[in-house]
Amino acid sequence: MKKVLYKMELVSSEEIKRDSFDFFLLAGGSDFRAYQIMRLMKTENVSINKILLFDFLERVHDIDKNDPYYEYQEVGFKNIFPIQCSIKATNSCLQNLIPLESELLAAQKVALDISCFTKPFFFYLIKLFKERFKVKELTIFYTEPQSYLFPRGIFSSYRSSIGPITILEIPGFSGFETRGGKRVLVILLGFDGDLSKEIYEDISPSETLVVNGFPSYTPKFKDISLIANEKLTSDKDVEIAFSRANNPFEAFNLLEYIKKRNGNAFINIAPLGTKPMALGACLFALYHPDVRVVYPLPETYEKVTTNRCWNSWRYLIPLNVT
Amino acid sequence: MTDSYRNPFSGINAVTLDDQAILDYWCSPFAYRLFSEIKEADIYEDPSNIVFMGGRSTGKTMFLRYWSFPVQLKLAAENNSKSGKIIDYFKERKGIGFYIRIDGPVLRSFNGYGIDLEKWNSIFTHYFELIVGRNCIEAIKMFYELGELKREEIENYFIPEVRTIINAPEIVSIDELLKEFDYRIKEVDLFRGNVPFFKVDFIPYRGGFASQSLSFGIPKIIKKTFSDFRQSINFILLIDEYENYSEPQQRVMNTLLRFSSNEIKFRIGMRLKGFRTFNMISEDDFIKEGREYRKVVFEEVLIKDKNYHDFLVEVSKKRLESVTIFKEKGEIDITKFLSKAENIEEEALELISKFPGKHFNHFKKSLRESDIEAIKYRENPLLELLNILWVLRGVPANEVKSAMEDYLQGNTNGEKANKYRMDYIDKYKLSLLFLLCSIYHKNKKYYSFNTFAFLSSGIVGNFIELCRRSFQYAEFENKDLLIKEGTISKEQQNKAALDFSEAELQQINRIESYGGYIHKFINNIGNIFRDFHKDERIRYPETNQFSADIDNLSDPKLKDAMRAAIKWSVIQKKPKIQQTAAGKHLKDIYTINRIYCPSFQISYRTRGGYSVKLTESDIVKLMTEENVSSKDYLKQMSAESTLFDSI
Repeated sequence: MKKVLYKMELVSSEEIKRDSFDFFLLAGGSDFRAYQIMRLMKTENVSINKILLFDFLERVHDIDKNDPYYEYQEVGFKNIFPIQCSIKATNSCLQNLIPLESELLAAQKVALDISCFTKPFFFYLIKLFKERFKVKELTIFYTEPQSYLFPRGIFSSYRSSIGPITILEIPGFSGFETRGGKRVLVILLGFDGDLSKEIYEDISPSETLVVNGFPSYTPKFKDISLIANEKLTSDKDVEIAFSRANNPFEAFNLLEYIKKRNGNAFINIAPLGTKPMALGACLFALYHPDVRVVYPLPETYEKVTTNRCWNSWRYLIPLNVT
Repeated sequence: MTDSYRNPFSGINAVTLDDQAILDYWCSPFAYRLFSEIKEADIYEDPSNIVFMGGRSTGKTMFLRYWSFPVQLKLAAENNSKSGKIIDYFKERKGIGFYIRIDGPVLRSFNGYGIDLEKWNSIFTHYFELIVGRNCIEAIKMFYELGELKREEIENYFIPEVRTIINAPEIVSIDELLKEFDYRIKEVDLFRGNVPFFKVDFIPYRGGFASQSLSFGIPKIIKKTFSDFRQSINFILLIDEYENYSEPQQRVMNTLLRFSSNEIKFRIGMRLKGFRTFNMISEDDFIKEGREYRKVVFEEVLIKDKNYHDFLVEVSKKRLESVTIFKEKGEIDITKFLSKAENIEEEALELISKFPGKHFNHFKKSLRESDIEAIKYRENPLLELLNILWVLRGVPANEVKSAMEDYLQGNTNGEKANKYRMDYIDKYKLSLLFLLCSIYHKNKKYYSFNTFAFLSSGIVGNFIELCRRSFQYAEFENKDLLIKEGTISKEQQNKAALDFSEAELQQINRIESYGGYIHKFINNIGNIFRDFHKDERIRYPETNQFSADIDNLSDPKLKDAMRAAIKWSVIQKKPKIQQTAAGKHLKDIYTINRIYCPSFQISYRTRGGYSVKLTESDIVKLMTEENVSSKDYLKQMSAESTLFDSI
């Protein structure tokens, strides 16, 4: 009998039309990919009881009515419930979710499109659904961008965030430090080299391991991330590992290996790379509550960081972990 | 052979070094007399609290960790005391230090989720007390395991006293005590993990700890219990990264500072302007420099004396020695790798090699053909440029020529020749090169040990990073040459300096508060300084400082932004107030961190002659507008008397 270790598949019309969900969660955004899955669901008549659109204060405050952010209103679903929240305060959505608590507790099938959520936010949501709303399994959608925006050349100009940054623990992912033990920092590499440096300095680990997304969405991406993080990656004491950019389960397995290899070390993960890799880190941290997840919170995020869409993926994430 | 190579300046962060590595890389700043304010013995003996202030990478962490118990324990083992007892080493030094670093993400997590500030303060206090208490107990455990303390004293006196204050009557051993502390710390961590999802109260299972209960309480028990500690050993809490503590957390800590006793003292490392508040928990009370603490500044903009340079040579030597290949070959002198000082004349000759007469062409409208011929000196374009300036200022060409020739022959007894020598050697040599670069539309190169030492702005970490990048380029471009010859070309050094300068400039945007404003300010003021360097009359050579009355800015946001710039060492205040120009009033003078100089193509030295005066409205403009014109500031300069006027 074939044993399914994990489930990850390309989203297709054929597959998605068989889905139905009690809740579908997605983030409002101006990137083209923000509503890609929702559009497909509408086209294929997927049955959804309630769509919760996380409406970020920071994203709407200086845009006009014609901004692509509002295109969700044109998709055709009538059951969209905006959930007011703030990127800076991940738990700001909680008070707007509490009125739905009984429905959420009863929900069997919940889907989350992480394409336009910030990483700390979807980490928080996944743990919230696991811990508070007792959801046993999540269907996660993710749409790859066709490309990222590099305003001044590809090797050092990518910025997903603007202005000052503050390194924070992702709420709910504080971990437990073994006093006197060693600290290991695992950075899932992104294109923004400033961020990894700041995290490294704040965490001050005794060992650092960087994970590059390879194979990446397109071949050049793996080089851009290495070059953008040159200071860190050129250090001979920093080990470089690879994990497929679109496969959360591979990232999960790699993190498992790193944890086993480091015994009782206090593992800190900084998910700066792709969202699927971050999803793997999230799942790993749910399995291992002693692990800490840290993230640089910027003053603001760039409004648009990606171009058009590439593949969309569907992952089944088990949450009934102990 | 090359397998034994690694970049000697890579990957060494004092927080992450193990205790032995701290000793291996330690260079005592006292041996180089870098601090006039304190002496070595003060670390353990001074009854005042001491605050060590300095920018990122100034060596504060290395300094604090060196005095911590585990590192000193290693030193004690190496330096056997006469009695053979390790504890006697600590008695001789009169203190024992506990290094406490709570990282930024943890500190920032004691906040929010609908919990009021007072409750968060209590939870943080409880956490801090546990951390300090655990450190003290761990030290006692180590002394005990080394056979330095008697079992009866531990079991019959120490443990019973501690278990009473922590309300854990069942505990009978030190290991159990440590486990109990770990459990209670984990209790706080668990709470921090749950509070974002549920409305929960923090109720420690055996009660919370008030301020001082363990941080002062356990040292007191130790002193009471063990005779060796009773008289002569002070407890020193070495608190790092104080700037990361939030304002409410600093109020908790400031209160501890106020109530510290002669035997329990604080040594605190923080950024400049790292105090978010001087207030204490009690609203109407505050701490004050000179009363609750004294201050030692790690970063001095005017560290230009030989001691600082010698210190950098020693720091580099330790790093070079850590690389087998360099140690074996005895290549442990950084001044050999980088060359001691730059060769300005050589650089000028390289600069003009393709178009040798361009600087004369540049001034041809202002010079007579015959004068040009008279003042030419092919061997040194900088002297030619100086000659041009003298002629432009009205000195006849034949007199200029004569002064130059006397100078070249070493005959500087005459007034003009002596003046010529002083102008060239003491005043304008570097400025002339910057002007030449501007005329030739080429960049000045930044290289050599001296230049890197100046660029580092008194921040040891900056010097190390300049070296790291230089070695990185040298390794990439010609590793064999680096290892065989033990030298790094000036081009490679220059690339390293430019890269680092650009990276630091970019990094300003990331400063936690006002980053964008500070970045704009530095871009604007840096470009204004650059225009001063392009002044064809060199009226104010190497202008790279400004005067401003930051403490009296009326807009609090502006003041905070400028303070943040100081905190992050983007600008540096000169230690003493100075005249903004000859004959002007005394004012606070600031320089931009010299690491930005390569980006703006300005001098890395501080001549101290002229300072651009910035009013409050100037600062607003420089912080908020793009590409501010330097015209007004150059006019300001023109309106004042110039150094050249006196010639």
